[in-house]
Amino acid sequence: MKDLKHLYYFEHLLDDANNELVRKAQEEGRKCVGSVCYQVPEPLINLGNVFGVRLRAPKTGSLEMGTYYMTSFLCEFSRALLERALEGGYQFLDCILAPDGCTMINRCVENMELLKINEKPDFFYQYLEVPMKDDLNALNLYIGQCKEKVLKPLHDKFGVDISDEALRKSVEEHNKICRLITEIGNYRKEDNPRITGYEFHIICMCTYVAPHDMLIQKLEETLEELKTRKPDDNFHKKYRARVCLVGSEVDDVDMVKLIEESGAYVAADRFCFGSLPGREEIILNDEEDVLTQICRHYMHSTMCPRHMNLPKWKRRKEFVNEIAKEYKCDGIIYEQMKFCDPWAYERMTGTYVMREEYGYPVLSVDRPYAVGTSGQLKTRVQAFVESVEIKKIQQGGKK
Amino acid sequence: MGAKIGSEKLGNLYSGGPVRKRREWRGLKDTIYDFFRWLGIMLMLGKFIVRPRNLKAMFRYRWMSNYLFVPMMIDRHTVGLRGEQLRIAHAEYDLVAKDVAQLLGDCFRADKRCGNDKKFSKKIVILDENEMFTIMCGFPNLKCVSWETAACYVSVLLNGASMTHYLDVVQQMGLPGDVCPMPAAEAGIVIDDDAPIYGACAVQCNTTCDGSLMGNGVMSRFYERNGIPCFQIAAPLRHTEDGVQDYAAQEIRNAIKFIEDNTGEKWNWDAYFKNIKRFNAENKHRFGWMEMSRTKYPQVFGANLALYAETTYMAVAGRAPAFLKADEKITKLAEKAYKKQNLVVKEHRHRAIIWGVQAQYYTDFLPWLQNCWGILPLVDMLSLVYFEKCSENDKDQAIYDIAKLYQEMIMRNRTHGGYEVLLDDLWRFVEYYNADMVILWEHISCKALDGMHGLFEERAREHGVKLVWVNHDLMDPRVVKRQAIRDDVNRYMRSVLREEPLDPTLENIDDEKSY
Repeated sequence: MKDLKHLYYFEHLLDDANNELVRKAQEEGRKCVGSVCYQVPEPLINLGNVFGVRLRAPKTGSLEMGTYYMTSFLCEFSRALLERALEGGYQFLDCILAPDGCTMINRCVENMELLKINEKPDFFYQYLEVPMKDDLNALNLYIGQCKEKVLKPLHDKFGVDISDEALRKSVEEHNKICRLITEIGNYRKEDNPRITGYEFHIICMCTYVAPHDMLIQKLEETLEELKTRKPDDNFHKKYRARVCLVGSEVDDVDMVKLIEESGAYVAADRFCFGSLPGREEIILNDEEDVLTQICRHYMHSTMCPRHMNLPKWKRRKEFVNEIAKEYKCDGIIYEQMKFCDPWAYERMTGTYVMREEYGYPVLSVDRPYAVGTSGQLKTRVQAFVESVEIKKIQQGGKK
Repeated sequence: MGAKIGSEKLGNLYSGGPVRKRREWRGLKDTIYDFFRWLGIMLMLGKFIVRPRNLKAMFRYRWMSNYLFVPMMIDRHTVGLRGEQLRIAHAEYDLVAKDVAQLLGDCFRADKRCGNDKKFSKKIVILDENEMFTIMCGFPNLKCVSWETAACYVSVLLNGASMTHYLDVVQQMGLPGDVCPMPAAEAGIVIDDDAPIYGACAVQCNTTCDGSLMGNGVMSRFYERNGIPCFQIAAPLRHTEDGVQDYAAQEIRNAIKFIEDNTGEKWNWDAYFKNIKRFNAENKHRFGWMEMSRTKYPQVFGANLALYAETTYMAVAGRAPAFLKADEKITKLAEKAYKKQNLVVKEHRHRAIIWGVQAQYYTDFLPWLQNCWGILPLVDMLSLVYFEKCSENDKDQAIYDIAKLYQEMIMRNRTHGGYEVLLDDLWRFVEYYNADMVILWEHISCKALDGMHGLFEERAREHGVKLVWVNHDLMDPRVVKRQAIRDDVNRYMRSVLREEPLDPTLENIDDEKSY
């Protein structure tokens, strides 16, 4: 396929946490809010003169300092973030809002605070208590926390308008991005898709790490370009299986690339920094206040394994089944960043349920934060693709 | 060898096999006392096993065989003790053993595969092993039976290697080996179909860590498949903040309602306040013992405090009068010993705070510390829980008290709640208890503690406190052996402090196979 016009631009944006658009927005006097989890609702931090970025540590090399402070048993994502923070890579931030989500990320941000990684005088940290169940009591908690730990400090410190009207406008802007990403992502459902999983991953990831308004034009142009883009004729030769990638944080640009180079087309992205969930619209009604609706949306939609009640436990598996069907996946890859406790359990139970109860071929792998050109992972994916192919042939024979 | 403290070279008792060469000689009076207490435990064990349903369970459940080692477990924790100290330890351990026997008896009476008493089973609520049992204080007609405590938690205390099979099972299923072995082992028990099946309903809680929270998913599926409704209390993590308390209280109300709906029983305030008064009284005793540890003559401390306090505080929670009676007896003995200025070992060289999570397969490490190096384990992180008094008459406040207890249950009160309760509090306790040393258990799979590793070191240097890291893997002695745990201390004592042990025979002991 012909290269997408803006792909290089999008790739370049992901080279650095303090990317071109972040710098530009700050030059305009806007404040940058760092967050570390899906559960800090984006419309609340892309509000007025503030914009949010999900923290990443692109081009991570040594993790020595992160490992000294947090030992080698914490996930590499948390260590990489701390390492980058200690190197001075997050000096551009104006605050960090961290949910007490998983223990490791929480500890990572606490280390940043105690080690005073940011020298800005008004820099502040907030830790949110976020729901671990999907019910009314948890919703009330979430609303209270978002008010006290997100909106109030943003208003007090940066003078952000936190009125219902302002929130409604922010949701509209958020939805605009979501619609664009969803439309772009829908092309992955085609039998012969006109966008690769890698390209989509890059485009989608940019929307988590840069001011939304500055991305819209390029996203619109990309969508227009895709409408007439001619897909490759050799799709089925290049990709011998379509997979749904499920798991923890994937902000490494090489991860999806590696899977696709090994012969599996990543049709659906069910991971943190992915679009399923994350880039669905928030539909507002006029009866309730906007904050309640935003919180409910995030509480319902999150597929975080730390939601502990059984209905949610089952829902996560059902959701994987639904998107696997919708995106015509032949198999599922469950990935877990090494040392991640929540995804360790979710990977185990998900692998079992999807394989035994839903009948999918499943590849279950753990991986480092930065996969690079991991031969080990490539071999696993290649073997999986072969096994899916064999199954397809066998099923064809039976018919 | 004799009545004098430190007269026996304790390392010589180890044979390299499962049992020791002989019982410790503590002088005539104490040896006879100790022997008869041992005999009492043997009789209790015998009485337990002769019941057909218990005998059936012994053959049905792999983990049950560990209960044959109860007498050895008590011996390990009374090693080197004399006089009042020996009596305090027996008052604690013998009662805990009796309580566990009761737990097992209830478990197998109700269990579908053993006693299958359906009527009795309908009166049982299942709780997690690491969960406060306070919510059952208001249900006097219901039983609260945690199979996880019986199958996993206690089993490892009795036999350090008892969970390795289940860890293999769960890892074979795909769980990595780096998660906390406790919830992993419990999940392994379920996957191995080795959990008893009983109960009207279950109430889970996000107890100490992500692993524990996630393990609940496996359990709740097991309950669902066996027709046991399950409720999850999602207690807030940032428990020191006022903003989460209303939510926490509502979780408790919801849990109470769930129990009522599934058992037909109604919450009884009179019963609750009666039990909570006892709970407050028990805590008062515990605080008293810990206050004594601020002086030169601590009497109730180390493993004896840790294990007994865990049982009393969390699993009993004021529901059993026998524990308060035992507390009163222990306080009397401790005061008597304190007046006599009794030393627990012949020389108190260092005063240590034990921080972090203990190696469940080596809880007698603390007696070893005192006997081998003269390091007094004054208080441990797990015993430093909830110092406030629960309301004894205010119904509204009571719900908030229960919620607070759930948020600040043992270990959870430090592993969650931000760095202030884990990192900052440690140095306050060091000062409060006049300690010169911190023994920091580094449970290698405990991400909450590992995540503060570097800052613990920096703060220790700032405070001028000796910090000794002791690595372990909670329930998997294959990863870090008991001698490796001891070597962490041996190395520090010899190479950093240049000290000689009080009892050199304990420095290297062959106890890998010993129960």
